[in-house]
Amino acid sequence: MKNIDQHFLENLIEDQSFINWIKKSNRNDIQYWNSWISKNPEQIETIELAKSLVLGIRFKETVIDEKKIDKELQKALSSIHLKSKPTLPIYKQKKSFISYGIAATILIIIGLFLGLQQYNTTTVHKTAYGEIINLTLPDGTSVVLNGNSTISYDKENSRDIKLIGEAYFKVKPIPSTKAKFWVTTNDLKVEVYGTHFHVNTRDEKTDVVLDEGSIHLVLDNGITKKMIPGEFVSFSKNTENITHKKVNLQVPYSLWRDGTYIFNNLTLKEVMKNMEYTYGISTNFKTKELEKKLISGGIPNKNLKICLAAIEKSANVKIIQTNNTLTIINNN
Amino acid sequence: MEISTEKSLWYLFIEGDLNAFSSLFKHFYPMLYNYGLKISGNTELTEDSLQSFFVYLHEHRHTIGKVSNIKAYLFISYRRNLLNNLKKERKYTTYDDSSILESNFSLSIEELSSKQETFKLKSAILLKLLNSLSAREREAIYLKYYSNLNTKEIADVMDITYQSVLNTLQKAFTKLRNKSESRLIQNIINT
Repeated sequence: MKNIDQHFLENLIEDQSFINWIKKSNRNDIQYWNSWISKNPEQIETIELAKSLVLGIRFKETVIDEKKIDKELQKALSSIHLKSKPTLPIYKQKKSFISYGIAATILIIIGLFLGLQQYNTTTVHKTAYGEIINLTLPDGTSVVLNGNSTISYDKENSRDIKLIGEAYFKVKPIPSTKAKFWVTTNDLKVEVYGTHFHVNTRDEKTDVVLDEGSIHLVLDNGITKKMIPGEFVSFSKNTENITHKKVNLQVPYSLWRDGTYIFNNLTLKEVMKNMEYTYGISTNFKTKELEKKLISGGIPNKNLKICLAAIEKSANVKIIQTNNTLTIINNN
Repeated sequence: MEISTEKSLWYLFIEGDLNAFSSLFKHFYPMLYNYGLKISGNTELTEDSLQSFFVYLHEHRHTIGKVSNIKAYLFISYRRNLLNNLKKERKYTTYDDSSILESNFSLSIEELSSKQETFKLKSAILLKLLNSLSAREREAIYLKYYSNLNTKEIADVMDITYQSVLNTLQKAFTKLRNKSESRLIQNIINT
């Protein structure tokens, strides 16, 4: 397959921003990709192939009569009630005693495993590098968990959460009991009734940005802080550094969850920090000046390669990737 | 079906709740049936094996272990089950799965939508092109665009690597593009 950039193609077909462009569903993405293509005409074959892979072949669904499904279901239910053996068993009929022995051992192991699981009452959700998931907790609170992050809670009480990494919470208020909701990090505890806020524990400190409602923070050193919407608090247990300020634009902290990082005059150093935590890579700057370059704009963050291409363009630098290390050099 | 409802239904099903079993049955029966029919080309065998597959699932629900993706799990197990049944039926025992699948997944004109965005071809021509692909390419296309499985799920169902699914789909679409282009050129020359 000539003129096809294999690696790039694979990234494209999984990239939400690219899919938005094909489906014409997001104006920013349409603009971004239109200009990207006009600047990279050599990639047109790859883009075209990726486009046909995403659009694919359209099928009509073969509808099966509901009465037939019901009839089949009744049949299955009556076989279950009769506890009759299936007519076409999955396993072969003839088996030696040894294989029965093995099967029995496996069953015992599975049984033990299931038994042990019942004692383990903690629920854990973990994301891989670059993965973003939407969760609804048993109490109705919704959580968007950014890449390389973990939340855990006791099955009995999903309103007491431990967080490592970065997450956005929309806590469901329970007015009848005024039940509180807690997020605990290494540095502090956030106490709320029902509100929208963002917590980030990367970089050995915890950042909290409040969107809506009001929250109390109990810092690790015992100090409590009250936050109002639009405020940002950062606290580190190790250095005991507290920052408490009003943020006019919440975007640098919160917009990653739509699959795009929005940066508002952030230095390249801070931008790359975001990449490091989300993708588990490390970065090297060739010169100190490069770290101070400012970046503004939206960068799709679900795909490292496309992400880096966008950063290169907006900061006018070159990024060289070797294994898990990125080296940033001047673009001359 | 929302993923979370699907998960809670699955949990209840494992607990032995027959209402949950019925909901899962109703939800997954049509897609598994259509998929089975594509593999076997035989309505009776598809119906029977799907019937016994669901009963088997219920009977052995305690040994199923943790299932993270219910849809993919059902496609994988049902496919394996059906292939085993086919081997018995046709006394195919010495052949491997791929030779059984060789003749399958042929598509019919009723299954294609008349609105195609990728290839602006008449359905009959597109159908001809699709059926000229290898069975593996057709199965991957079917699972992706008909059954709406993602690449990882297709890899698990077809028991090949993620990379080979991508390669298979790519090859299929490159072939389709080349063939549809030469079709267009032919049409222009002929008119």
